[in-house]
Amino acid sequence: MDAEVAAHADAGGPNRRLRLRVADWPGFAPGQFAMLSAGARGSAQRDDPLLPRPMAVYREHAVPGGSEVEILYKVHGRGTALLADARPGDRVRLLGPLGRPFPDPPAGGRAILVGGGTGIASLYELAARAQGEVLVLLGARSADDLMGRDDFAALGVSLDVASEDGSAGRRGLVTDLLAEALEEGGAPSVYACGPTPMMRAAAELASRASAATWVSLENPMACGFGVCLGCAAPLAGGGFGLVCRDGPVFDAAAIDWENLA
Amino acid sequence: MSASAPINTAVDLGGIALRNPVLTASGTFGYGTEFGPFLDLRRIGGFVAKSLTLEPRHGNLPARIVETPAGMLNAIGLENVGVDAFVREKLPALPDGVPVVASVFGSEPASYAEVCKRLTGVPRVAGLEINASCPHVKSGGIEFGQDPTLLADLVRATRSATNLPLLIKLSPNVTSIAEMARVCEDQGADGISLINTLQALEVDLATRRPALRNVLGGLSGPAIRPVALRMVWQASRAVAIPICGIGGIATAEDALKFLLCGASAVQVGTANYTNPMAAAEVADGIVAWCAANGVARVADLVGTLEVPE
Repeated sequence: MDAEVAAHADAGGPNRRLRLRVADWPGFAPGQFAMLSAGARGSAQRDDPLLPRPMAVYREHAVPGGSEVEILYKVHGRGTALLADARPGDRVRLLGPLGRPFPDPPAGGRAILVGGGTGIASLYELAARAQGEVLVLLGARSADDLMGRDDFAALGVSLDVASEDGSAGRRGLVTDLLAEALEEGGAPSVYACGPTPMMRAAAELASRASAATWVSLENPMACGFGVCLGCAAPLAGGGFGLVCRDGPVFDAAAIDWENLA
Repeated sequence: MSASAPINTAVDLGGIALRNPVLTASGTFGYGTEFGPFLDLRRIGGFVAKSLTLEPRHGNLPARIVETPAGMLNAIGLENVGVDAFVREKLPALPDGVPVVASVFGSEPASYAEVCKRLTGVPRVAGLEINASCPHVKSGGIEFGQDPTLLADLVRATRSATNLPLLIKLSPNVTSIAEMARVCEDQGADGISLINTLQALEVDLATRRPALRNVLGGLSGPAIRPVALRMVWQASRAVAIPICGIGGIATAEDALKFLLCGASAVQVGTANYTNPMAAAEVADGIVAWCAANGVARVADLVGTLEVPE
């Protein structure tokens, strides 16, 4: 629960790379997340901002006496701005790993990983552990916003990048890259995480190509362990799934995209 | 007293015997089992389960929550498994030794009463808490707890449906909480829980829309704590039945303030989200404070706020 900041560095533009030392980290599976307190915790109770932030676990590293959990995040609100001030030695509250991970990509098959914005952070470990052929497609508004590009490149996987302003990779949307990749044929598995319109578009493209599609949803949540019911995602078959407990990874066909906020 | 004398933390909440005065608030603690990985439930006084209706409910479309200054709004829409599934599946999964208060919700006094009947005589249910913040269908959406006549009808109907300890959870969205408290006492309630969430609105400026799909939501968290303290204090001066204080409690100090203002027990709510061990830490902290301040019996603190003449 209690984690110590081991390292905290710029990761380009508004992005930050945080390494947390956690004594009893049980290990995580790709797609799982953690709830992180908004900022370091001092001796006083922090009331504002109140809620912890759900963040994808990016990587983990074994270190003497425990693990270091790496979080790649973007500073874009009050909670992440406070977190960005945390220095090595500061303590943050961490709850995790939480949620259902991505299913393993088929060993002999082709996997296309589609990440947009901060959603990219959910995909690194999936790319790193995949056994078969992997194509990673990353999208962001601009080169500044693009997370983790060098990390993915270092994995040696096929990598293609799009940005809305053309400052990184192709000018356009990451789903444009997906449409082209799907035209190459085969029936790959698609794994997507990013803004809801991006995931919805990716799911529709993949569905037309008869590709199994897994999405990792990012609904706001207060608790992360199934009690606040704030993160409910409407399901195509009626009712709701909780993003924290039943997800964050869902079969894209199971989601009622029209009613997903 | 000697420094090592044990502190007597037991309290009676309208006939519900609690080992300590810290419960968890309805809607913030699921059905109890969700906290198993974080918390030994025997460390808290008891918990109030998520509100139950006659039939299961799916709840509202998203967005259901939004963070606000020192708090949050929610409009979950009373998602719950229904009273029968609660009795059949959820209660047996709970560890022994923690009193369970079932929260009851309905659209009419008769449906509230039916849920009460189905919970009465169930071995693990120590008491009932009536959620009076439900919109009354026939009155155009006004909450039961906002109208003294509707509230009286509701308390009367539920009182006649059960012999279990009966708590009424009041809405804070009223002009006079003292009047509502007296209605509960007059109609035979054993205690009062307050406050429920404050009705509120947040706006997403970028989309020019309400932040919640339901438009209105209930404000909870530290932001409402002084409002809750005020209402507990006013209610406690109006009635003799015990009060369970609720509203932004996150620490032992917060809880102790509610005891001084007249609450016999308290409920920890939104803090369970940000720290799943919060309720146990509040209970432990009350003991530590009593030890440091020479208080041998927690119940002796209730209603001891010193108000200058």
